[in-house]
Amino acid sequence: MRRVVITGIGLVTPIGAGRENFWRNLTAGANGIGPVESFDTAAFPVHIGAEVKDFHSEGPRGRGSQLAIAAARMALDDSGIDIKARDRARVGVSMGTTSGEPNMVERYNDARKAGGLESIPADILPKYPCNVIPSNIAIEFDLRGPCLMIPTACAAGNYAIGYGFDMIRSGRTDLMLAGGADPFSRITYMGFARLGAIAPERCQPFDRNRKGMVPGEGAAVLVLEPLDDAVARGATIYAEVLGYGVSCDSHHMTAAHPQGDGAIRAMAMALKESGRGVADVDYISAHGTGTPTNDRVEAIAVRTLFGDRAPKVPMSSIKSMIGHTMGAASAIEAVACSLAIHTGVIPPTMNFEEPDEGSDLDYVPNQARKTDPKIILNNAYAFGGNNASLCLARLQ
Amino acid sequence: MMARVVVTGAGVISSIGAGVDEFEKNLYAGCSGVGPSQLLGDGVVAAEVRNFNPQQWLGNKGIRVLDRSARLLCVAAQMALTATGLQQQDTSEGDPNLGLVCGTMFGSVHSITSFDWSGVTDGPTYVNPMEFPNTVINSPAGQAAIKHKLRGVNSTISAGLVSGLYAIHYAAEFLRFGRATALLAGGVEELSEEAQVSFGKVGVLSARGCLRPFGADRDGTVLGEGSALWMLETAESAEARGAKALLEISGFGAAHDAHDIQAYRVRGEGATSAIQQALAAAEIGPEQIGCVIACASGSRTGDEMELHALKNVFGARLEQLPVCAPKAAFGEALGASGALCALTAGLALSKRSIPPIAMLSAAKDVQGDYALVNCFGCDGNNAALVLKGLS
Repeated sequence: MRRVVITGIGLVTPIGAGRENFWRNLTAGANGIGPVESFDTAAFPVHIGAEVKDFHSEGPRGRGSQLAIAAARMALDDSGIDIKARDRARVGVSMGTTSGEPNMVERYNDARKAGGLESIPADILPKYPCNVIPSNIAIEFDLRGPCLMIPTACAAGNYAIGYGFDMIRSGRTDLMLAGGADPFSRITYMGFARLGAIAPERCQPFDRNRKGMVPGEGAAVLVLEPLDDAVARGATIYAEVLGYGVSCDSHHMTAAHPQGDGAIRAMAMALKESGRGVADVDYISAHGTGTPTNDRVEAIAVRTLFGDRAPKVPMSSIKSMIGHTMGAASAIEAVACSLAIHTGVIPPTMNFEEPDEGSDLDYVPNQARKTDPKIILNNAYAFGGNNASLCLARLQ
Repeated sequence: MMARVVVTGAGVISSIGAGVDEFEKNLYAGCSGVGPSQLLGDGVVAAEVRNFNPQQWLGNKGIRVLDRSARLLCVAAQMALTATGLQQQDTSEGDPNLGLVCGTMFGSVHSITSFDWSGVTDGPTYVNPMEFPNTVINSPAGQAAIKHKLRGVNSTISAGLVSGLYAIHYAAEFLRFGRATALLAGGVEELSEEAQVSFGKVGVLSARGCLRPFGADRDGTVLGEGSALWMLETAESAEARGAKALLEISGFGAAHDAHDIQAYRVRGEGATSAIQQALAAAEIGPEQIGCVIACASGSRTGDEMELHALKNVFGARLEQLPVCAPKAAFGEALGASGALCALTAGLALSKRSIPPIAMLSAAKDVQGDYALVNCFGCDGNNAALVLKGLS
């Protein structure tokens, strides 16, 4: 089977768009969280979010599609591939999302409230089903291969990158645009606010006084191609995809399994498929949303799988800076992992002041660190008990 | 050599019946599920799962929190698990190598819209937190995993009208890569006011409420609903546990037209390519296809596109080839359609004849061991699946 590498990166995040901009800000500990501007939060108990402030949605496509297309364009540019010169029947799109184009449902309800069903414009709901996001990418860049959305909620980005990896590995395609996208959504915000899961001021993953997650938005797209093709064209190779693992807690729709059963199995499956063991892992990109339970369970899972080595493996959550970008999160985190491998620097967990009682894990507090990681696990967990871990490595 | 993937059982709930036996009986009797909708009222015509009573299969426990999509999916899963002897005991933890891959288009759109509506009308602090989990698109699959103790991969696939076939392909790939030993794969779609409004406003629904695939007088489609799931296993693991393999997943092809988000590319380049790729993956030629289960849904342009693609692939043989369009029976069930059509293809192979519904020619008897299933979406996404009968 063919080896698969990442040779292009494009993203739009609350701390900036584009590979260089994002990485500079991420390693500097930038903050993308602030007062919500997309809608009025006066009736909500919380008011902060992680929005992409400098991205204005215009034109007929939904914001999810627009974020995704922008990320895809940057990724293709970054890869140096002349897509028009390619056999585009061999180029596919694989995206992940939590909510797709939820703003279309919001517009539908706003129109319905204002003027009843008859007043609803015809073009709103057809743009809702989440497959429009990868299809819009295919249309924008004239890509003729397989094209799908994997809406496995907040672990979706890893699932989508995994599918892209499978498609190239098995020889079904020669190039994949894979990632995730989610626009800022009133529905998502309302739900997490009602659950009491949103932090009032800042996001503090793994800190003893953490108070919750912060909903965000964004998109990331990675260009995946066979190693041989990348070498032949002299491409910059950011990282190799070694394998991934997925599992289901089969326990509760919103609460993680208390012992981290599914999280452990996903990490173990990713390592097994990659032909690596816990002793090989140099860094873990945590799901780390900042909610009391999720972070506790993730720490338990890592402690259980890594045993005595757990405190020696740095693990950070970039959600402390960019919030929880939902289905885009693990794709953006896969970008961070790729750039950590490429540059030798791992991003910090910001706002970290005090560890949980008895915790001895290394959360890379508040400062990026030069560690030269070679093998990385990227963790993602989701509603529905979905878990996905992706294993990335420096090319050997 | 990649592992072979086989079908060892199925579950289905649709407007023409619950369970494979009833579905088969009504399909081959030429029945149609299209009629007045109880759910949507207001004169809406749809292929609805009427008098749906999930308790009949699932009992009362934990039913209340499940929305319609989750209920339909859980019922189909229950049937497929029971049919294959893979249902997990109440006392067991559940098999970590048993999972679910579910295709859907609109997902739980009614749950999502209702949740937002209560926020818009009552205020954001009055939404029901119990209903929030149903607003994620993968909630039916997650609920089914909890209900049936499915601890392996749990993926939801959205590729519009092509979702069901993509889900089968995705699950087959997972089995080939050795990440699971048995996977439920197929699709679910519920009838909803939102999908009805969406398709109605853009004018693709039949004004007469009459679904006539390939018909000269066709004027649009009629929405349907339901769930169909196959149990897929590697041939090796099916044999090891003594499960009878009914069908083999021989080949899958996918091609995007990259043309328009809401219009078919009528000449059918992508559809043709998807079929040709599926044949190539199965390592057979078009002459070995014994029957075709068409995607045709009564759409003027969509059905025309499919005819172009079939002519491109089969040439003059198309006039003698058994082709039927079973959506005439179970409606355009969106994300579940591909799975319902695939199930139909499996029945056709085992009965050696296609259902007597919306046939393209007089040919009815299956002419070989392989069936082709078409699935083409108006967003330009095209997929095709080749199946081999093993019985």
